[in-house]
Amino acid sequence: MSDDVHSRLAALVCRYSLEVEKGHVVLVESPAVAQPFLVALVAELTDLGAHTLLFPSLESVETVILSEASRAQLERVTPVDELAVEVPDRAISIWCESNTRRLSGVPAGNQAIERAARRALYDRFFERAAAGELRWCGITLPSDAQAQEAGMAQADYRRFVYDACKLGEPDPVAAWREQAARQDAVVARLGQVSSLRIVAEGTDLTVDVSARPWISADGRENMPDGEVYTSPHELATEGHIAITFDAPFNGRMVSGARLWFEKGRVVRSEAERGAAYLQEMLAVDDGASLLGEVAFGLNAQITRATRNVGLDEKIGGTCHVALGRAFPESGGTNASSLHWDMVCDLRSGGQVYGDGELIARDGVFL
Amino acid sequence: MTDQRVERLAKLLVGYSLNLQEGQVVNISAPVIAEPLVVELVRAALAAGAVPRIRLAVESADHAFLSRASEEQLRWVSPLVTREAETLDARISVIASWNTRELSDVDPSRMAARSDAAGPALQTIMERAARGEINWCVTAFPCNALAQDADMSLADYEDFVYRAGWMHLADPVAAWRSFADKLNQIAVRLSDVKTLRMVAEDTDLTLGVAGREWKGSYGTHNFPDGEVFTGPVEGETSGDVRFTFPAIYSGREVEDVRLRFEGGRVVKSEAVAGGDLLAQMLAMDDGASVLGEFAVGTNYGIERFTKQILFDEKIGGTVHMAVGAGYPETGSVNRSALHWDMVCDMRGGGEIYADGELIYSAGRFLPEFAPDLSPPDA
Repeated sequence: MSDDVHSRLAALVCRYSLEVEKGHVVLVESPAVAQPFLVALVAELTDLGAHTLLFPSLESVETVILSEASRAQLERVTPVDELAVEVPDRAISIWCESNTRRLSGVPAGNQAIERAARRALYDRFFERAAAGELRWCGITLPSDAQAQEAGMAQADYRRFVYDACKLGEPDPVAAWREQAARQDAVVARLGQVSSLRIVAEGTDLTVDVSARPWISADGRENMPDGEVYTSPHELATEGHIAITFDAPFNGRMVSGARLWFEKGRVVRSEAERGAAYLQEMLAVDDGASLLGEVAFGLNAQITRATRNVGLDEKIGGTCHVALGRAFPESGGTNASSLHWDMVCDLRSGGQVYGDGELIARDGVFL
Repeated sequence: MTDQRVERLAKLLVGYSLNLQEGQVVNISAPVIAEPLVVELVRAALAAGAVPRIRLAVESADHAFLSRASEEQLRWVSPLVTREAETLDARISVIASWNTRELSDVDPSRMAARSDAAGPALQTIMERAARGEINWCVTAFPCNALAQDADMSLADYEDFVYRAGWMHLADPVAAWRSFADKLNQIAVRLSDVKTLRMVAEDTDLTLGVAGREWKGSYGTHNFPDGEVFTGPVEGETSGDVRFTFPAIYSGREVEDVRLRFEGGRVVKSEAVAGGDLLAQMLAMDDGASVLGEFAVGTNYGIERFTKQILFDEKIGGTVHMAVGAGYPETGSVNRSALHWDMVCDMRGGGEIYADGELIYSAGRFLPEFAPDLSPPDA
C-alpha cells in the first residue's frame, strides 16, 4: 500500500512534472526520513535512464550548523557547492519535516547569513531554470510533524496529502492534465481583466492586474499544486483583506490577520495573534508592505487548511496574496527579502469581479 | 540519553585522526543510521573551525539503483564526486548499516562495474593523501546490523567498539600517540627486511618487501586501528595462503579462502563457499590478482572476529593481506578498483620469518624484535 503510493508519486513527478529523460542528471535533496519514498524515486529515475544525485539531509545537522557555526563557516561556499547547481538537468526538493519547530532556538541572524552567502547559488540555479537548462519540482510528503501541525492523525494526513496529489485518481497524470486545462481557462479569463476586486467577509480588495501575465501552477514545479497567480501593479492596491487561515512564516504564526491598503501599501494591520511579528515583518524593508502576488487556489482535493502555506494556498475556492517579493515572470517589480503568502477563503459567499463583472462566486469561476 | 562515548569518539576523530584545521572542508560520509555520530562529528568539526559537508547514504536506495541500473548508469561518475576528490581537505567515512545483506542479491559484476568507475576518484584521493593534501579516515558506528553480524547484543557491541578504540581510557589520545611510537619502531625495523616468509596452517607464503616502506597505522586513516603494513613487491609473492576468517565483500561471505601465488599473481583460488565471487573479483582488472598490501594486526584490545574488516584486520595476533590496490606511500605500484582484505589468524602457532630469522610467533612479535603492544590498560 505505502510502497504503491510512493511508486505512483515518483512516477507522477518524474513523468508528468519533470519529464525526466534518459541521460538526465537529477539532483534529489531530501530529509533522510523520506527514505521509503526515496527508494521508489531512485527506482523510477533509474528505470528512466537518469543519473541520480541523492543528497539526504538531517534536521539535527541543520540545527547544529545554524546554532553553532561561525559567520565564516556559514558563509563558506565550496567548489562542490558551486558545481552542484551547474550539473543537474532536473532537481527535486522534498519537504518532509520531523519537527516544524526545530529552528526555534536558532539565532535568527544565522539563517539570514547563510542564505545571503548562498544567494549567488540560488540565483544561478534559477537563471539556469529560466534559460530552460534545468527544471525543478518541490514535493510535499506527509510526516507526523506536519500532521501534528494540521491537528490530524497520521493516516488521515497521509490520505489528505496524497489525495491533493491526485494519487487517488485512476490515472494521476491524466487528472493533472485536466487540472492544467481547467487552470488554463481561468488564466485566459483573468488575462482579460484589468481591475480585480475580491469581496468576502471582512474583505473588499481591489488590485490592478492590467497587462500582468497570469501563470498556471499545474503540478510541474510543486506537488501537490493547483493555483494561478500574478503580481499586481505595485502602487495600485486599495481596500482591505481578512486573512482566514493561520499564516505561518519562518516557524512563527500569525492568526486572524487583517490588512488595509492605500496606494498599494499596507497602512494598517491587525492580528488576533502575532500582531507584533506581523508589523515587524511589514517593516523589514521597503517592499515588504506591498503586494508581490495575488492568486487563486484551484485544487478541489485540498479542502482544509493545515498550517502549511504550500498546501493552504492551493485550497480550491480560496485566494491568496503575498506581501513582499514579486514574480518577474508576471511583470512584478517589487523587491523584498519577504514573500509571505496569506490565504482568504472565498467559499462561503466570496465574490470576484473582473472590471466590474462577476467572474467567480463562492470561490468557483463562472 | 546520548551515549557520551559518541561525543568522545567524534572529538578524537576530528582532533587526532583528521587533525582538522580552521577553514578546512571536510566531508562526513555515512549511512543515515549513523546520525548520532554524524551530528557529533559536525559539532566537533565546527568547533575546530572546519567546514563540514555531509554526504549521507540510504542503503535501500542504493539497492534500488544497483539492481536496475544499466551498464552506462553503473559506470557514470558524478562530477561532484570527482570535484570532491580534487578539492576536499579531509574526509571521514562511517561504516554502519540497517542490514549488511542489503546488497546480497546484486550481481557482483554490477558491484564491480561501479567500483571500477569509482576507481579514478579513489586514486585521486590516495595520491593527494600521499602528498599530504587530504586527510581521510574510516570509522564505524555501532548499530544493530553490525552487532548481529558479530553475534552480539547492541549494548555489548557498543562496548566492543568503544573498547577497541580505547575510549574507556582517561586519555585515549595519549594512549594512541604512545602506541604510534611503538608501531613506528617496528616499521623502521621491518624496512631493512628483503624477504618475508609467513607460515601457518596450510600457509607458507613468501613475499618480497625490499625497498618498500612499512607504515604503522595508529588511528589516523582507520579508527579504531592497530597494524603495520606495506605494499609487497608486485612480482615476487609466491606460495600458499589459507585465510582463517571468511572474506567479506559487500555483505557476501567467501569462506575458507585459499590462494596460490606464483610470480606475484594469484594462479589458483579456492573457497568452500563463494568461490565464484572470489574468482570474479580477482578477474576484475589486471591488478586485482596481485597483493597491494601485507599487514600485521596489532590491536590487542580486539580479540574476536566480528565480520567487520575495520576491526577484524586489526585483531592483535593476525595477519591480513589485500588483493588489489596498494597504497602509494608504501611504494606499491599496484593499481586496481579492488582492495579486498583477508585475515589469517596467527595466534595458534603462526610464524613470520624476516630474511630467514624468526621475528613473530603465536600472534606476537618476539620481544627482542619489538616493544610490547599490549592494550594500555592491561
